[in-house]
Amino acid sequence: MLDRRLLKNFDYQLLLFMLLISIYGLLVLSSATQGISSNDPLFYVRKQAVWLSIGAGIMMLIISINYLHFYHWSWYLYAVNILFLGMVLFIGKEGLGAYRWIDLKVFDFQPSELAKVIVIITLARLLVDFGEKTESFTAVLPFLLHVFFPMLLVFLQPDLGTALVFIAIFFGMLYMAGIPWKNLLILAGVGLALSPLLWMRLHDYQKLRLLVFLNPELDPLRYGYQLKQSMIAVGSGGLAGKGLYQGSQARLQFLPAQHTDFIFSVLGEECGFLGALLLLLLYFFLIYRIFRIGSLAKDKFGALICTGVATMMLFQILVNVGMVLSIMPVTGLPLPFLSYGGNSLLVNFISIGIVLSIGMRRHKIQF
Amino acid sequence: MDKKMLKRTKFFLYMVILVFVVLLARLAYLQIFHFDYYWARAEKNRLRILPITAPRGEIFARGGEQLVTNRPGFTVSLVDLGQGYSKETIAYLALLLEMEEGEIRQKIESQFYRRYLPLRLKTDVSMEVVSKIAEKRLELPGVLIEVQPIRNYVNGDFLAHVLGYMGEGVVPDWAAEHWEKTGYEYEQGEPVGQAGIELAWEPYLKGEDGGLQVEVNSTGQAIGEFERVEPRPGCDIYLTIDAPLQSALEEALHETVEDLLAAGNRHAGEAAAVVLDPRCGAILAMADIPAYDPNTFSLDFPDLEKDPRRPLVNKTIEDHYPVGSTFKMVTALAALQEGAVTKTGRVSCGGVITRYNATKSCYRRTAHGSLNVVQAIQKSCNIFFYEMGLRLGIDTLAHYAREFGFGSPVGLTDIFGEKKGIVASREYKSKIYQEPWYPAETMDAAIGQSFNSITPLQLSNYTAMIANGGIHYRPYLVEKIVDSDGNPVLTAEPEILHRMEVDEAHWDTVREGMSLVPLPGGTGARLADFPIRVAAKTGTAQVVDREGIIPSHILFVAFAPLEEPEIALAVFVKYGEDRRGNMALPIARRIMEVYFQIPTE
Repeated sequence: MLDRRLLKNFDYQLLLFMLLISIYGLLVLSSATQGISSNDPLFYVRKQAVWLSIGAGIMMLIISINYLHFYHWSWYLYAVNILFLGMVLFIGKEGLGAYRWIDLKVFDFQPSELAKVIVIITLARLLVDFGEKTESFTAVLPFLLHVFFPMLLVFLQPDLGTALVFIAIFFGMLYMAGIPWKNLLILAGVGLALSPLLWMRLHDYQKLRLLVFLNPELDPLRYGYQLKQSMIAVGSGGLAGKGLYQGSQARLQFLPAQHTDFIFSVLGEECGFLGALLLLLLYFFLIYRIFRIGSLAKDKFGALICTGVATMMLFQILVNVGMVLSIMPVTGLPLPFLSYGGNSLLVNFISIGIVLSIGMRRHKIQF
Repeated sequence: MDKKMLKRTKFFLYMVILVFVVLLARLAYLQIFHFDYYWARAEKNRLRILPITAPRGEIFARGGEQLVTNRPGFTVSLVDLGQGYSKETIAYLALLLEMEEGEIRQKIESQFYRRYLPLRLKTDVSMEVVSKIAEKRLELPGVLIEVQPIRNYVNGDFLAHVLGYMGEGVVPDWAAEHWEKTGYEYEQGEPVGQAGIELAWEPYLKGEDGGLQVEVNSTGQAIGEFERVEPRPGCDIYLTIDAPLQSALEEALHETVEDLLAAGNRHAGEAAAVVLDPRCGAILAMADIPAYDPNTFSLDFPDLEKDPRRPLVNKTIEDHYPVGSTFKMVTALAALQEGAVTKTGRVSCGGVITRYNATKSCYRRTAHGSLNVVQAIQKSCNIFFYEMGLRLGIDTLAHYAREFGFGSPVGLTDIFGEKKGIVASREYKSKIYQEPWYPAETMDAAIGQSFNSITPLQLSNYTAMIANGGIHYRPYLVEKIVDSDGNPVLTAEPEILHRMEVDEAHWDTVREGMSLVPLPGGTGARLADFPIRVAAKTGTAQVVDREGIIPSHILFVAFAPLEEPEIALAVFVKYGEDRRGNMALPIARRIMEVYFQIPTE
């Protein structure tokens, strides 16, 4: 079990920021789901609270594991990951036009969420193993292939948003591992040059979602309308907000996904600029603490995992909040610790658990 | 951590700060600098979506006759203005629309998720209701009249079981799954095809709804600037159905059944018939009675459900029956192909046969004397076929029955619900009764009795296979589908599902037997004066129920012209036995008269 001496280096601040964000999230969720289920107004809040507790439990378990074990398990994890993602395409459960879930009776398991943290771990190992010969451009290829396969499987579901998270993680971790600037820029350039090919592979609705923030008139009945309503909600919140449970936009249910993808617009309306600032500050400190742990980690493996987790969180925050504020395309990525949904919550807890474990074991234990 | 990494961590943190600054700047822009604008818009947020229902695709017969269209109808809807609905409004609407107040409240409750959409309370209301609401517009904030297309079945119950009907009921899972394969997502609570073509082709017929993004005023009326997305109408479907033929067939079925009822046959009431093109499998006519009027289906449903003649069942595919002597060509062909008898081989009929302790007889114990297979078909001699059955054995007999498509669906997928029927066999008996097969039963099976049970569609397909020499085409109803711009989306191609390996000479022998049936000396001699040569077979299937022996089912199968068949048909009259002779024959005659445009005498 957990050695007491390890607690000396436990990052209580990271834990605190995470808990504060979760509690803040529960409050906003309780407002966003008001009246959705008329016979049990706290239905979603209760479920989310249960997931939070389960997540916290799993996090404790992860903390107690020495993160170096993940290094040794890396290839098994990678295989299991590919297996799960492959399974979704065959026995996946359909929802909103995509196959993303596996029905486990107790809950719907979403392998693409878990895939994010697994890819972070396995890519970290790969970077550690081949980290020294990274000067030539071709040295990037193994890393690229490594991320490409899980990303492709996620893209096929189709889940464009999560596939993009993989790209963010890839660039974030490779940069931190010391891959030359030049090589990453070339890679990004090639990627951009190839993106028209990707564009042709997209479904019409995906294209529409990507473009609608530039011009809401493209889809005035669905996403265009949602984005307009979202901006009205956030903008009308003003400096101090209308007060929790007081948002007229939220109460009228103008936003179909206001407890999941659009929860930030409820927060913006009811808690105002100050409330949003508070949340973003909490997120900033959360990410800062992750980087801090990364920079103090005793090995490169731990440092790279921290980078991956931080990149993942940052990217999701940017894309989700940006979408609500109409400066980013609609991709349907959840906001960490805030959006309703068990899978995303669990993966966030697992990620933070690993980071905390890295932080605790940054020095050799002194007897 | 090495120096390079520390440097990069620093840079990374600058990026993080940049992201947060961008988000905060955007927040400030919306919440601080444009607060007044958004505040005002939220205060009287009257931005709503008014969906425009896409006109559903129309359905036409082969000759372009309109069968199903749309007509405009008025729908009463509620638009949520953010302050709920007054008790008076709900009470008034309940009274006017003849709904329960609780029902309206429940509908409002169920729309909670999508309050920005109007809630449709009642569709197709009368002009009177519309004008009453228009008069009280100011006292009824949020009440809206929308114009929506209503499904119109032009000829009432004509072709009803093929066309199907619309409803808002629950869609069975298998149908939803079937649609999903075409990428069609069905929305709960929307009107949706519930049977026939309407159900099976829902994804094509539905079209894509459009809508208006509008500002509504304080009474819920759309005002000001709005954006519009035009609906895309559904695809039109052209059926293989020959409308004049179908019409004559339905009329003939009705006349026959009424005739039987008038003659005192209290069991009569149901009948079915299918006409196929044996050269491709196209269904030219497919009728069964009684059916329903799809226009008033939901109103009539309680009565329809109780009707003992089962108007809800499509008796051409969803029900199977013993088919009696129309089965005998299976036995004849099997015997010829297996060498159990030659074309000239004879069997002597004394009217009665006793084998395996079972005594069986010919119809009315007629002694036919010595006859060959051609004559046996012509006279429908039971004794001959009993003998053939015994020579073949049940397993070979069952094999040939299956070759003709009995015992499994014949492949009609343009409407759902085809039943597989039963082939009398060792396996079936042991599965259902856990009993061995007795040779005496083979004799019954050889003349179409025993467990044999066949749908009218299977029977017509079998007749078509005799006509075309053993080719099993997939029967189909949809000739082509055309989208709203007139571009073809789908055109039917004949599809061969199976080809029987039987010598051409044996088909000729069987056809020769059938060609003698409608001639003097045959069981269908009443067709002797028909100007085109026809191959046919009569059938009578005895039915025993709790009351004892009740009127037999009457059947008739035919194809014509004999030399180059263009149509194959099967007619089934349930409990149609009558002293005047085979009651299905005049129906078949009527079909052929209309098809070949022969003036009635």
